[in-house]
Amino acid sequence: MKKLLTVLLVCFGLATYGQTTINPDTVCANATGEQYFVTNTPTSTYNWTVTGGGGTLQTGQGSNSITVDWGGVSGLYPNAIEVIESNAANCPGTPVLLDVFVLDLSGNIIGPFCPGDPTTPLVGNPAGGTWTGTGVVANAFQPSTAGVGNYVLTYSMAGCNTTINVVVNNGPVTGPIQHF
Amino acid sequence: MKKTLTILFIFFSLTVSSQCVSNQSFLLSSPGPYSPGDVVAVDYTLGTFTQLNINWIIAFQINLGVGWTNLIPLINPVGGGTQTGNWVWDLQNTYPSGLNFGPGWRFNNTGFNPDWGSSSTGPFTMRFRVTVGPTCTPDDLSITINVIGDCLTGGWNNGACCSDPAYNIYNGNVQIVTPITSNINHY
Repeated sequence: MKKLLTVLLVCFGLATYGQTTINPDTVCANATGEQYFVTNTPTSTYNWTVTGGGGTLQTGQGSNSITVDWGGVSGLYPNAIEVIESNAANCPGTPVLLDVFVLDLSGNIIGPFCPGDPTTPLVGNPAGGTWTGTGVVANAFQPSTAGVGNYVLTYSMAGCNTTINVVVNNGPVTGPIQHF
Repeated sequence: MKKTLTILFIFFSLTVSSQCVSNQSFLLSSPGPYSPGDVVAVDYTLGTFTQLNINWIIAFQINLGVGWTNLIPLINPVGGGTQTGNWVWDLQNTYPSGLNFGPGWRFNNTGFNPDWGSSSTGPFTMRFRVTVGPTCTPDDLSITINVIGDCLTGGWNNGACCSDPAYNIYNGNVQIVTPITSNINHY
Protein backbone atom coordinates (compact mmCIF):
# COMPACT_ATOMS: atom_id res chain seq x y z
CA MET A 1 0.00 0.00 0.00
CA LYS A 2 2.84 2.35 0.91
CA LYS A 3 4.60 1.50 -2.34
CA LEU A 4 1.45 2.20 -4.35
CA LEU A 5 1.05 5.57 -2.71
CA THR A 6 4.67 6.42 -3.48
CA VAL A 7 4.24 5.52 -7.15
CA LEU A 8 1.07 7.59 -7.36
CA LEU A 9 2.80 10.51 -5.71
CA VAL A 10 5.71 10.37 -8.17
CA CYS A 11 3.37 10.15 -11.16
CA PHE A 12 1.27 13.03 -9.88
CA GLY A 13 4.39 15.09 -9.32
CA LEU A 14 5.67 14.48 -12.83
CA ALA A 15 2.31 15.29 -14.35
CA THR A 16 1.98 18.50 -12.34
CA TYR A 17 5.41 20.02 -12.66
CA GLY A 18 6.71 18.47 -15.89
CA GLN A 19 10.36 18.40 -16.82
CA THR A 20 12.89 20.07 -14.60
CA THR A 21 16.52 20.34 -15.63
CA ILE A 22 18.98 19.47 -12.90
CA ASN A 23 21.57 22.12 -12.14
CA PRO A 24 24.19 21.98 -13.56
CA ASP A 25 22.87 21.10 -16.96
CA THR A 26 25.12 18.91 -19.08
CA VAL A 27 25.63 19.56 -22.80
CA CYS A 28 27.87 17.92 -25.33
CA ALA A 29 30.86 19.81 -26.64
CA ASN A 30 30.08 21.65 -29.87
CA ALA A 31 26.37 20.92 -29.52
CA THR A 32 24.18 23.15 -31.66
CA GLY A 33 20.57 24.27 -31.39
CA GLU A 34 20.19 23.34 -27.73
CA GLN A 35 16.84 24.62 -26.54
CA TYR A 36 16.31 26.25 -23.15
CA PHE A 37 13.00 27.55 -21.88
CA VAL A 38 11.04 28.82 -18.90
CA THR A 39 7.30 28.73 -18.36
CA ASN A 40 5.74 31.32 -20.63
CA THR A 41 3.68 34.27 -19.46
CA PRO A 42 2.21 35.82 -22.61
CA THR A 43 2.44 39.41 -21.36
CA SER A 44 6.07 39.07 -20.27
CA THR A 45 9.32 39.52 -22.13
CA TYR A 46 12.49 37.58 -21.40
CA ASN A 47 16.05 38.81 -21.54
CA TRP A 48 18.56 35.97 -21.87
CA THR A 49 22.30 36.06 -21.35
CA VAL A 50 24.68 33.25 -22.29
CA THR A 51 28.23 33.43 -20.94
CA GLY A 52 31.09 30.94 -20.85
CA GLY A 53 31.44 27.56 -22.44
CA GLY A 54 31.78 29.15 -25.83
CA GLY A 55 28.01 29.45 -25.86
CA THR A 56 26.26 31.76 -28.26
CA LEU A 57 22.59 32.59 -28.23
CA GLN A 58 21.18 31.75 -31.63
CA THR A 59 17.42 32.38 -31.57
CA GLY A 60 14.57 33.42 -29.32
CA GLN A 61 15.88 36.46 -27.44
CA GLY A 62 12.87 38.20 -25.89
CA SER A 63 10.78 35.06 -25.79
CA ASN A 64 10.56 32.34 -23.16
CA SER A 65 12.56 29.88 -25.28
CA ILE A 66 16.00 30.15 -26.87
CA THR A 67 18.49 28.01 -28.73
CA VAL A 68 22.20 27.97 -27.95
CA ASP A 69 25.28 26.65 -29.70
CA TRP A 70 28.03 25.50 -27.36
CA GLY A 71 31.81 25.49 -27.68
CA GLY A 72 34.19 22.57 -27.44
CA VAL A 73 36.06 23.26 -24.21
CA SER A 74 35.02 20.85 -21.51
CA GLY A 75 34.31 22.20 -18.06
CA LEU A 76 31.79 23.59 -15.60
CA TYR A 77 30.53 27.08 -16.38
CA PRO A 78 28.66 28.63 -13.43
CA ASN A 79 25.68 30.84 -14.29
CA ALA A 80 26.23 30.22 -17.98
CA ILE A 81 22.58 30.96 -18.75
CA GLU A 82 20.60 33.77 -17.16
CA VAL A 83 17.09 34.94 -17.86
CA ILE A 84 15.29 37.99 -16.47
CA GLU A 85 11.56 38.17 -17.00
CA SER A 86 9.83 41.56 -17.23
CA ASN A 87 6.07 41.84 -16.91
CA ALA A 88 3.68 44.07 -18.84
CA ALA A 89 4.58 47.02 -16.61
CA ASN A 90 8.23 46.44 -17.52
CA CYS A 91 9.08 45.44 -13.97
CA PRO A 92 11.85 42.84 -13.82
CA GLY A 93 11.71 39.69 -11.79
CA THR A 94 14.53 37.94 -10.02
CA PRO A 95 17.21 36.61 -12.39
CA VAL A 96 17.08 32.86 -12.90
CA LEU A 97 20.41 31.13 -13.49
CA LEU A 98 21.60 27.78 -14.78
CA ASP A 99 25.09 26.31 -14.56
CA VAL A 100 26.25 24.37 -17.59
CA PHE A 101 28.77 21.57 -17.84
CA VAL A 102 30.23 21.16 -21.32
CA LEU A 103 31.14 17.53 -21.77
CA ASP A 104 33.90 16.63 -24.23
CA LEU A 105 34.35 12.85 -24.47
CA SER A 106 37.42 11.04 -25.77
CA GLY A 107 38.57 7.43 -25.97
CA ASN A 108 41.94 5.69 -25.95
CA ILE A 109 43.51 4.55 -29.21
CA ILE A 110 43.91 0.80 -29.38
CA GLY A 111 45.07 -1.72 -31.94
CA PRO A 112 45.69 -2.81 -34.55
CA PHE A 113 44.94 -6.30 -33.38
CA CYS A 114 45.31 -9.80 -34.59
CA PRO A 115 42.44 -12.19 -34.04
CA GLY A 116 44.23 -13.99 -31.31
CA ASP A 117 45.26 -10.99 -29.29
CA PRO A 118 44.05 -10.78 -25.70
CA THR A 119 41.15 -8.63 -24.53
CA THR A 120 42.08 -4.96 -24.21
CA PRO A 121 40.39 -2.50 -21.84
CA LEU A 122 38.63 0.45 -23.43
CA VAL A 123 39.31 3.72 -21.61
CA GLY A 124 37.00 6.70 -21.95
CA ASN A 125 37.60 10.19 -20.63
CA PRO A 126 35.97 11.22 -18.42
CA ALA A 127 35.43 7.82 -16.91
CA GLY A 128 32.03 6.45 -16.13
CA GLY A 129 30.57 6.07 -19.62
CA THR A 130 29.68 3.02 -21.63
CA TRP A 131 31.39 1.45 -24.65
CA THR A 132 29.42 -0.22 -27.40
CA GLY A 133 30.28 -1.83 -30.72
CA THR A 134 31.35 -5.10 -32.28
CA GLY A 135 33.66 -7.05 -30.03
CA VAL A 136 32.95 -4.94 -26.95
CA VAL A 137 32.35 -6.94 -23.81
CA ALA A 138 32.16 -5.18 -20.44
CA ASN A 139 33.95 -2.03 -21.65
CA ALA A 140 36.78 -4.07 -23.19
CA PHE A 141 37.58 -5.10 -26.76
CA GLN A 142 37.87 -8.78 -27.62
CA PRO A 143 39.58 -9.19 -31.05
CA SER A 144 38.66 -12.83 -31.12
CA THR A 145 34.98 -11.98 -30.72
CA ALA A 146 35.08 -9.20 -33.29
CA GLY A 147 37.06 -11.13 -35.88
CA VAL A 148 38.98 -9.63 -38.77
CA GLY A 149 37.74 -6.21 -39.91
CA ASN A 150 37.46 -2.47 -39.27
CA TYR A 151 35.18 -1.42 -36.41
CA VAL A 152 33.81 1.79 -35.00
CA LEU A 153 33.42 1.69 -31.22
CA THR A 154 31.30 4.28 -29.41
CA TYR A 155 31.81 5.76 -25.96
CA SER A 156 28.66 7.30 -24.47
CA MET A 157 27.92 9.37 -21.40
CA ALA A 158 25.07 11.71 -20.47
CA GLY A 159 23.72 11.70 -23.99
CA CYS A 160 27.10 12.52 -25.57
CA ASN A 161 29.11 10.21 -27.80
CA THR A 162 32.57 9.85 -29.23
CA THR A 163 34.02 7.12 -31.44
CA ILE A 164 37.29 5.33 -32.10
CA ASN A 165 38.28 3.09 -35.02
CA VAL A 166 39.70 -0.36 -34.35
CA VAL A 167 41.31 -2.72 -36.84
CA VAL A 168 41.70 -6.47 -36.51
CA ASN A 169 44.06 -7.76 -39.16
CA ASN A 170 44.52 -11.21 -40.55
CA GLY A 171 47.31 -13.16 -38.92
CA PRO A 172 49.98 -14.76 -41.08
CA VAL A 173 48.91 -17.98 -42.77
CA THR A 174 51.60 -20.49 -42.19
CA GLY A 175 51.80 -23.64 -44.30
CA PRO A 176 52.22 -27.13 -42.90
CA ILE A 177 55.58 -28.23 -41.67
CA GLN A 178 57.45 -30.07 -44.44
CA HIS A 179 60.20 -32.74 -44.04
CA PHE A 180 62.87 -32.87 -46.69
CA MET B 1 -7.64 82.35 41.78
CA LYS B 2 -7.86 78.85 40.35
CA LYS B 3 -10.81 79.85 38.18
CA THR B 4 -8.90 82.86 36.84
CA LEU B 5 -5.90 80.72 35.93
CA THR B 6 -8.15 78.24 34.14
CA ILE B 7 -9.76 80.98 32.06
CA LEU B 8 -6.38 82.42 31.19
CA PHE B 9 -5.10 78.99 30.21
CA ILE B 10 -8.07 78.34 27.94
CA PHE B 11 -7.71 81.74 26.29
CA PHE B 12 -3.98 81.19 25.79
CA SER B 13 -4.60 77.79 24.24
CA LEU B 14 -7.17 79.14 21.83
CA THR B 15 -4.87 81.94 20.76
CA VAL B 16 -1.70 79.93 20.28
CA SER B 17 -2.79 76.53 18.96
CA SER B 18 -6.41 76.83 18.09
CA GLN B 19 -7.69 74.81 15.19
CA CYS B 20 -10.26 76.26 12.88
CA VAL B 21 -10.94 73.12 10.87
CA SER B 22 -13.53 70.54 11.88
CA ASN B 23 -15.91 67.93 10.49
CA GLN B 24 -13.65 66.76 7.67
CA SER B 25 -14.53 63.68 5.66
CA PHE B 26 -13.57 61.95 2.42
CA LEU B 27 -14.65 59.27 0.01
CA LEU B 28 -12.41 57.29 -2.35
CA SER B 29 -13.80 55.83 -5.56
CA SER B 30 -12.02 52.59 -4.70
CA PRO B 31 -10.54 51.69 -1.35
CA GLY B 32 -7.06 50.53 -2.40
CA PRO B 33 -4.47 49.15 -2.34
CA TYR B 34 -3.52 50.54 -5.74
CA SER B 35 -1.33 49.36 -8.59
CA PRO B 36 0.27 51.25 -11.49
CA GLY B 37 -2.39 52.69 -13.77
CA ASP B 38 -5.16 52.74 -11.18
CA VAL B 39 -7.28 55.90 -11.28
CA VAL B 40 -8.80 57.15 -8.05
CA ALA B 41 -11.34 59.92 -7.51
CA VAL B 42 -11.23 61.65 -4.15
CA ASP B 43 -14.19 63.51 -2.63
CA TYR B 44 -13.23 65.74 0.26
CA THR B 45 -15.53 67.75 2.48
CA LEU B 46 -14.63 70.35 5.05
CA GLY B 47 -17.71 70.63 7.22
CA THR B 48 -16.81 73.72 9.19
CA PHE B 49 -14.17 76.40 9.22
CA THR B 50 -14.35 78.37 12.45
CA GLN B 51 -13.17 81.91 11.95
CA LEU B 52 -11.18 82.42 15.11
CA ASN B 53 -9.89 85.97 15.37
CA ILE B 54 -11.52 86.68 12.02
CA ASN B 55 -9.12 84.40 10.19
CA TRP B 56 -10.64 83.30 6.91
CA ILE B 57 -10.10 80.22 4.87
CA ILE B 58 -8.06 80.84 1.73
CA ALA B 59 -6.79 77.59 0.25
CA PHE B 60 -6.93 73.80 0.10
CA GLN B 61 -3.57 72.27 -0.66
CA ILE B 62 -3.38 68.68 -1.88
CA ASN B 63 -0.29 66.75 -0.82
CA LEU B 64 0.48 63.62 -2.80
CA GLY B 65 3.07 60.90 -2.41
CA VAL B 66 5.52 60.45 -5.25
CA GLY B 67 3.64 57.44 -6.55
CA TRP B 68 0.75 59.56 -7.78
CA THR B 69 0.58 61.36 -11.07
CA ASN B 70 -1.89 63.18 -13.28
CA LEU B 71 -3.72 65.20 -10.59
CA ILE B 72 -6.90 66.62 -12.11
CA PRO B 73 -9.53 68.83 -10.42
CA LEU B 74 -13.08 67.63 -11.01
CA ILE B 75 -15.33 69.67 -8.69
CA ASN B 76 -14.27 73.04 -7.31
CA PRO B 77 -15.19 74.19 -3.80
CA VAL B 78 -17.75 76.97 -3.70
CA GLY B 79 -18.54 79.71 -1.25
CA GLY B 80 -17.08 83.13 -0.72
CA GLY B 81 -19.22 84.17 2.20
CA THR B 82 -19.61 87.90 2.16
CA GLN B 83 -16.57 88.21 -0.05
CA THR B 84 -16.58 88.38 -3.79
CA GLY B 85 -14.20 86.15 -5.65
CA ASN B 86 -13.82 82.59 -6.76
CA TRP B 87 -11.99 79.38 -5.99
CA VAL B 88 -9.32 78.76 -8.61
CA TRP B 89 -7.24 75.66 -9.29
CA ASP B 90 -3.56 76.42 -9.08
CA LEU B 91 -0.43 74.34 -9.29
CA GLN B 92 1.72 76.89 -7.50
CA ASN B 93 1.35 80.25 -5.84
CA THR B 94 3.66 82.11 -3.52
CA TYR B 95 1.82 84.13 -0.87
CA PRO B 96 3.12 87.34 0.73
CA SER B 97 4.24 85.35 3.77
CA GLY B 98 6.48 83.29 1.50
CA LEU B 99 4.21 80.27 1.75
CA ASN B 100 4.72 78.13 -1.30
CA PHE B 101 1.25 76.84 -2.11
CA GLY B 102 0.18 74.16 -4.50
CA PRO B 103 -1.28 72.22 -6.01
CA GLY B 104 -4.86 72.79 -4.94
CA TRP B 105 -7.62 75.33 -4.86
CA ARG B 106 -7.19 78.84 -3.55
CA PHE B 107 -9.71 81.63 -3.09
CA ASN B 108 -9.08 84.63 -5.23
CA ASN B 109 -10.66 87.50 -3.30
CA THR B 110 -11.53 90.11 -5.87
CA GLY B 111 -13.13 92.42 -3.34
CA PHE B 112 -10.95 93.97 -0.68
CA ASN B 113 -7.67 92.09 -0.69
CA PRO B 114 -6.57 89.09 -2.79
CA ASP B 115 -4.86 87.62 0.28
CA TRP B 116 -7.84 87.73 2.62
CA GLY B 117 -9.54 84.55 1.47
CA SER B 118 -13.17 83.58 1.78
CA SER B 119 -15.35 84.56 4.69
CA SER B 120 -17.45 81.42 4.28
CA THR B 121 -17.48 78.92 7.14
CA GLY B 122 -18.39 76.03 4.89
CA PRO B 123 -19.22 73.38 4.22
CA PHE B 124 -16.86 73.03 1.27
CA THR B 125 -16.88 70.02 -1.01
CA MET B 126 -14.46 69.26 -3.80
CA ARG B 127 -13.34 66.38 -5.95
CA PHE B 128 -10.10 65.54 -7.70
CA ARG B 129 -8.66 62.58 -9.54
CA VAL B 130 -5.22 61.00 -9.36
CA THR B 131 -3.53 58.14 -11.16
CA VAL B 132 -0.92 55.72 -9.92
CA GLY B 133 2.16 56.31 -12.03
CA PRO B 134 4.15 53.60 -13.78
CA THR B 135 6.72 52.21 -11.38
CA CYS B 136 8.48 49.06 -10.32
CA THR B 137 9.02 50.20 -6.74
CA PRO B 138 6.50 50.51 -3.89
CA ASP B 139 6.30 54.28 -4.07
CA ASP B 140 4.44 56.39 -1.52
CA LEU B 141 0.75 56.91 -2.29
CA SER B 142 -0.19 59.10 0.63
CA ILE B 143 -2.89 61.74 0.18
CA THR B 144 -3.35 64.57 2.65
CA ILE B 145 -5.02 67.96 2.50
CA ASN B 146 -3.95 71.13 4.22
CA VAL B 147 -6.59 73.73 4.89
CA ILE B 148 -4.88 77.08 4.85
CA GLY B 149 -6.18 80.18 6.61
CA ASP B 150 -5.14 83.67 5.71
CA CYS B 151 -3.08 83.66 8.88
CA LEU B 152 -0.56 81.53 6.97
CA THR B 153 -0.56 83.56 3.80
CA GLY B 154 0.25 86.87 5.37
CA GLY B 155 -3.14 88.30 4.57
CA TRP B 156 -4.30 88.49 8.16
CA ASN B 157 -1.97 87.64 10.98
CA ASN B 158 -3.29 87.52 14.48
CA GLY B 159 -2.34 84.07 15.62
CA ALA B 160 -5.31 81.83 14.93
CA CYS B 161 -5.81 79.10 12.34
CA CYS B 162 -2.08 78.78 11.81
CA SER B 163 -1.63 75.26 13.08
CA ASP B 164 -4.31 73.10 11.55
CA PRO B 165 -2.69 69.76 10.82
CA ALA B 166 -2.88 68.07 7.44
CA TYR B 167 -5.92 65.85 7.07
CA ASN B 168 -5.00 62.29 6.16
CA ILE B 169 -7.00 60.70 3.36
CA TYR B 170 -4.88 57.73 2.35
CA ASN B 171 -1.76 55.97 3.50
CA GLY B 172 -0.22 53.24 1.42
CA ASN B 173 2.25 52.26 -1.22
CA VAL B 174 2.07 51.11 -4.80
CA GLN B 175 1.33 47.43 -5.01
CA ILE B 176 4.04 45.98 -7.21
CA VAL B 177 3.65 42.66 -8.94
CA THR B 178 6.99 41.30 -10.08
CA PRO B 179 7.11 38.24 -12.28
CA ILE B 180 8.06 34.91 -10.76
CA THR B 181 10.05 32.96 -13.30
CA SER B 182 10.24 29.18 -13.37
CA ASN B 183 13.55 27.36 -13.43
CA ILE B 184 15.35 27.13 -16.76
CA ASN B 185 14.69 23.85 -18.50
CA HIS B 186 16.61 22.15 -21.28
CA TYR B 187 15.04 19.88 -23.88
